[in-house]
Amino acid sequence: MVYTKRTPWTLIMGLIMVAYAYLVQSGALEAVIKYLGTGRNAGEMVMLGYIFGGIAVLTGLWQLIAKTAEGHVDYYLSTIGGVTFIMLIAFIVKWGLDPQMAEWGKAAQPALGFNFAGVMNLNYVVMGILAGIVIVNVFKVPDWAANGVRLSRLGLKTGVILLGTLYSFAELAQLGQLSVALIGVFVLGSVGLVLWWGSRKNLPNSMTGVLSAGVGVCGVSAAVAAAPVVQAKSTEIAYTIGTILMFGVICMFVFPIVGKALGMGYITFGAWAGTGILNSAQVAGAALAFQPNGIETLKVAEIFNITRVLFLPIIVIWLAIWYVKREVGAQKVDIGQVLISKFPLFVLGFLMLFLLSSTGIFAPARHYQGAYFDNSDKVMIKKDRSGKEVNNYLKDPDLAVLKQEGEKVKRDDQKAALQRLVENKKLMSIDDDDTLRGVVNAKIMSKEGNAVLTKAHRAVRHTAAKIAMFRDLIAWFFTFGLVGLGMQITMASIRQAGGQPLVIGSVVGVIKAVGSLIVVMLLVHETI
Amino acid sequence: MAEDKFDRGTALTIFGTDRHEDMVALILSLVIALLVYLYV
Repeated sequence: MVYTKRTPWTLIMGLIMVAYAYLVQSGALEAVIKYLGTGRNAGEMVMLGYIFGGIAVLTGLWQLIAKTAEGHVDYYLSTIGGVTFIMLIAFIVKWGLDPQMAEWGKAAQPALGFNFAGVMNLNYVVMGILAGIVIVNVFKVPDWAANGVRLSRLGLKTGVILLGTLYSFAELAQLGQLSVALIGVFVLGSVGLVLWWGSRKNLPNSMTGVLSAGVGVCGVSAAVAAAPVVQAKSTEIAYTIGTILMFGVICMFVFPIVGKALGMGYITFGAWAGTGILNSAQVAGAALAFQPNGIETLKVAEIFNITRVLFLPIIVIWLAIWYVKREVGAQKVDIGQVLISKFPLFVLGFLMLFLLSSTGIFAPARHYQGAYFDNSDKVMIKKDRSGKEVNNYLKDPDLAVLKQEGEKVKRDDQKAALQRLVENKKLMSIDDDDTLRGVVNAKIMSKEGNAVLTKAHRAVRHTAAKIAMFRDLIAWFFTFGLVGLGMQITMASIRQAGGQPLVIGSVVGVIKAVGSLIVVMLLVHETI
Repeated sequence: MAEDKFDRGTALTIFGTDRHEDMVALILSLVIALLVYLYV
């Protein structure tokens, strides 16, 4: 089978991307960028536009000119048209629709009484998936893009592996036990509930088994992994995937709205999404929709999500034993073999990069989410791009403001931290920094006083450039994966989620979502 | 349905198996991590 289609679209999309990058670089689009407030993304626009556009132009020319023959080259190069298609949609959504929607949300606020863009979470993640759903259901994914769309899961998996770079032992130690306990209760509980209910309703054991793994563990991957264990038929896998995707899509839109309505913080929402949403991709979607301009929620959600994925081997063993017991005469299942062949390697990749990150090769080992404290002269006195020396110690006028307002500070620890700051003209420890952040948050001093404290804070807090780069890359891999995911959600797959599997899957899913919401609200605090 | 349209992989992935896809994601991530480590 020859996969390369003789289409001009890859070339056209490539030219559009290159032209866009050039216009941004030359400053011709400055007015538009200023209007949309996307100036900080200008570097990204130029770099990604040239890279993806350049590759698409070369491939597009090759597709039009060269003679194609069946083989690996044809197969893998045929994905580039689809990848370019997804990236073009991601560009339009992220750099155009997203900021425009935010502007419209603000503009309509006086009339509506609320910011509809914020309330409905109409950000680039949600709009990207919606764009994918609209394309596949209204226009159909073009044949030349089909292979590229099939790379979206690879994008999501790569994003999950790279996410490992953002974690360190200190962080996981804080969340680890709680995530294991929470996930353990809800994963094992929902698997058990589906198995019990499915048996009562006399669903086939294979259907019940694959549905329980899908609803309990990590959605589509778990359903696919558990299928051979319970010898599920392809229609049963399709039913389960349809149920999971439909329920997951609803969750992805509803969770962030509920989270915002309840005033949840990044950690509580991340814990809830990671526990309550069925499918890994939709966990990421909900977390990014809740916090589109940062990655803290996504990180917590992914810790819970990864913990959930780690339960897969336990579920696989459980299902194997359950199935063998129930199916008299079922073929013998080699549990050890199933474990070795089904354990998701990308989870091992995540753990590998997490271990590397914990050694401090990407940021100082003591980093917290890529941020770290350093008050040495090496960072306090730096040179700017023009070679001019920039001194970040507090200046005399700053110190005068602090001395003048010092009397307003009453707590001993805050007084002592302020005293040390004034004496040394810089913050001397993380504790002092945290203590004085409390003074700023409590608005004890005037605006000027707070500005000086914030200046001192910024001088000693740094973000590791490598971790910042990883964050950007992760966001793009997830955006790519989620737009592609949207293109796989057809009305047919949604309709397939009918009948009893839908009812059982949805009810157990709702129980899990509501139960985990209650437990998370009670047990998880914004403590880190 | 997927089998009719693609003779390699499935409707969800271009790779023959999940393990193959995981392996590619792993290699891609490690290459990216190495580049970031060396050049950023």
